[in-house]
Amino acid sequence: MDEEYVIQKAKQALQTDPLSAKAWMLTAKTLYPNNFGVQFEAYKIEKCSGHVKETAKCFSNLIGKFQQQPEFWEEINLVTAALRMETESKENDFLCEMFKHISADVQHKLLLLTADHCKDIHERCKLLLLLLQRFPSAIRTHGSSLVETLLSHSLSASTDANCFHKLLVCDLLPLLNSQSNITLELAPKVIFTLLHKTLKLHISTLKENQQSNKDLSCSEPWSQLFCVIEFVGKQLGWDPQLVNFTNWTKENYWQRLMHFYQSANWDDFTNPKQLVYCLILFLIYCLHQYNMNMSMENYVMIEAFTDASLPSPQIPEHKAKKRKTEVDLNVPHLSTENSNKSITSNFMLAVNCWDLLHSTDEINSEFTSLSTMLGLEVWLSSFYIDYSIYKGKYEEALKRLDCDGRAPIMKAITKACIHYTQYNYLVAFENVIETLNLLPTNIGTTSTQLVVGGNQRHLHFLPLTKLAVLQFCSKLVLRSIRQKGAKSSDMAIGHTLVLMQIDWPQEEEMLPSLMEEISRAGSFAYPHFQDYLIQVDILEELAYLWSIPGGKITLDIVPNLTTRRMGTRLADKGMKDVIRQAIRKQISRCNEPIHELIHSFLVQEKLQISPTLN
Amino acid sequence: MSSSEIKQGLRKTEFPNCAKEALNKIGQLICGRNTNIKQMDLALDLMAEFVFCEVDRRGNKRNSVFTAIQELQLLEVLFDYFNSVTGDAARNSVFLTLFSGTTASQRLGILSKLVSIAIGTGSAKVLISASTWMQQLGNTSPNCCKLAEALVMDYFILIPNSIDQLKLLYQNSQQFTANFLTAVAELYYVDSKKEIVFPPKTLLETIVHWVSENYKLCVAAQIMQSPLPPGAIAMEATTPIAGLLKWCVLAPIYNQNNELYSQLHLSLLNSLLEIPVSNPPRAVSSQHLIVPVGSICRYSLELHKRKKGVDKQTLFENDANLQLSLDRYAQAIQIALFGKCIYGNVNELVNQLSQLPQNKLLGIVIYIHKMNK
Repeated sequence: MDEEYVIQKAKQALQTDPLSAKAWMLTAKTLYPNNFGVQFEAYKIEKCSGHVKETAKCFSNLIGKFQQQPEFWEEINLVTAALRMETESKENDFLCEMFKHISADVQHKLLLLTADHCKDIHERCKLLLLLLQRFPSAIRTHGSSLVETLLSHSLSASTDANCFHKLLVCDLLPLLNSQSNITLELAPKVIFTLLHKTLKLHISTLKENQQSNKDLSCSEPWSQLFCVIEFVGKQLGWDPQLVNFTNWTKENYWQRLMHFYQSANWDDFTNPKQLVYCLILFLIYCLHQYNMNMSMENYVMIEAFTDASLPSPQIPEHKAKKRKTEVDLNVPHLSTENSNKSITSNFMLAVNCWDLLHSTDEINSEFTSLSTMLGLEVWLSSFYIDYSIYKGKYEEALKRLDCDGRAPIMKAITKACIHYTQYNYLVAFENVIETLNLLPTNIGTTSTQLVVGGNQRHLHFLPLTKLAVLQFCSKLVLRSIRQKGAKSSDMAIGHTLVLMQIDWPQEEEMLPSLMEEISRAGSFAYPHFQDYLIQVDILEELAYLWSIPGGKITLDIVPNLTTRRMGTRLADKGMKDVIRQAIRKQISRCNEPIHELIHSFLVQEKLQISPTLN
Repeated sequence: MSSSEIKQGLRKTEFPNCAKEALNKIGQLICGRNTNIKQMDLALDLMAEFVFCEVDRRGNKRNSVFTAIQELQLLEVLFDYFNSVTGDAARNSVFLTLFSGTTASQRLGILSKLVSIAIGTGSAKVLISASTWMQQLGNTSPNCCKLAEALVMDYFILIPNSIDQLKLLYQNSQQFTANFLTAVAELYYVDSKKEIVFPPKTLLETIVHWVSENYKLCVAAQIMQSPLPPGAIAMEATTPIAGLLKWCVLAPIYNQNNELYSQLHLSLLNSLLEIPVSNPPRAVSSQHLIVPVGSICRYSLELHKRKKGVDKQTLFENDANLQLSLDRYAQAIQIALFGKCIYGNVNELVNQLSQLPQNKLLGIVIYIHKMNK
């Protein structure tokens, strides 16, 4: 056959004389423009020779006329597969390069054709996506239906539902968002379904990550979520201020939310809706970061201590102006170790969000129904405990604590501080003992932030380390004892002196009044002296009271001495020696690790301590 | 100022200054708003007397020619003048008048040197005018061929290592390059001459480089029209395709087996495919395409004569050179037919091709052509 002759000639020349082979090929193509065999052969020859431009030309030629040919169809599939970069190979690179040399018209046609032919729905969507990515002008015709298809499949129970969702959220929506001039015809119902689905998925992912202690800082799911909100906002005509997350900051976004809240027209029923959605998103975002702060540094929020005799903690200037005259005592001061601002700001933003979500009936009911639907409640429970403490709703916090999944030691600490705040010192002490049995192995350091001045309530983010927790426990017990100070006994004073040692000299200013009490009583009997008192400064004060200039106070600090007390001078002298020696001996112990001493004091002398708390 | 006053004035200045001033005057006369016959005549007089010094003050022909120095001086004056005129139309007008059809043969020496300098210095302005000139005279006309010959001499024979300079030429003026190619193609493989001449290798290399680099180059002179003086009729430029194709087709039967011919052939095929569609076609003349037929026929006759007794058909079929020649010819014809870019009598072309010795591809091409009709 003639065509075979011409093709044969071209193939023969290919090895020996590529130039003449090309000439033959051109001739063949023009001789038989409607012969698939010839055209396809020409394509294959160019492809084998690695001629990108020529291959592209042949390919364009074929696609107009011969896409129904199975052989060519396979080739088309190879090209689209290569474009999706599913596997990397030399051939794929070549085909991608070739695709670039095809005219836009033909590219469009190619992708649409393949998509139309594709039986596998996932593949089909991928191809359409590819088409839209390459030819944004096709969004107008194919955009809406692709969103709907992807969404309906991502809602299905099939195993690859997630793939569809990923395709939709990670690839399609960013593309649609970038094309601001194109609006899609999508029913609001579809859009809300999309939004709910994404939020749900996001929340469950966050939950999973948290439980499995995965890297929580992964920013990808967030950018996806923002992308969806941006898309939804655009489609539903929400306030652009609320759905713009480019170069945003949390503080700035909060301002925008507040501004919208204050200026929106509430007769428009869409307004509460968009505010609630944006608030929920923002709440989740802040909480996520808050939880991250909490779990990374291993913090637990506690109701810490105040000292009215000390000056109030510094309030930033602009706030100081606003409430120059009175500080709302119920608004707690938040403190952290090494002034970690982000944890307090995240918490405060979350609190503000929460308050705003409960500010009006409309918003509240919208939020409640959404929160149930999205499965938000479980996720919020941990925050809700901290929120309740912050708001002083201690009963609420205790109630929630039982069903929360936080570590037992955290529960114990939280309970201890709540009971302490409610003057249930004995119960709080029980919680302290429980805490001490669960102490973490990580040593850490003692804090200087546990007590702040003023009368304002004080919440502290306590790091879960051995020293920090122990210090907090000692301070709690110490303060509990002091609160019962009206009927102070030698035992109470002795316990106080022991507990003061943990972070000496933080509680130093308590010492003079204690010494005064002792000196007023004229004697001080404390059977645990030799076991637990080793702080030099405290020992010196006691030694002074015992000396002649100090008032010759009787020190009953050596347990067995009292039984053989005798009135003779000699015996008196002997006793003095014994006491002097006892004090000396204690001083020599001053380098012993204090936290171990305090720990065993609290645990072993539990029965001795309890009475002083009642 | 009257004609004689102008002439008197110019006579007071020495050559080459008089040439310089005369050129300015000529420019004013030709490019004035309403140029009349009288002014035109004056301009022609000034050229003959003051620029080219062909006649004396009385109009008598002067026998003495330029000395080498004077020629150089005149070239400098001309070169400066053309490069100083900004308007393409004005420059082309003066250029065409200076080297008109009637005077060109006389002045061709100067013209060739002027163009040669323009190529060397990359002066696009002079090249555009020269291109227009070639086109208006017909780029296959004897004058143009002479110009091409001179340029080949300068650039490919005297200084064969100027290829890089020439490779840039087509960037400076594609039109000129295309017209030059058309003219140069007519210089070689002409078997009516006593001895057949082949293009020098450097020329062939350069042409391959030009044509393969830009498939649109061959039609460049047709795509871009240069501005002409008012009233002038634009002449259609002949493309170099048929001429260069003849080289490729005839090369095998003259044992010119350089691979460059394969390259040139392929580039020409690609150029044919890139020709913009026009109705009626204008890129390749049927007449021009027929030219190789004669040479091939003569070759086969001689072949047959030399080997008497051998069956004619077997003889031709077994002659590799002849078959290669016919294959190339058939390929080009096919692609030109496919691209519908042949003008003139296509039937005559096909008839002539049928007279050629047997070749399978040629047979297929003719068969398909007839089928498609």
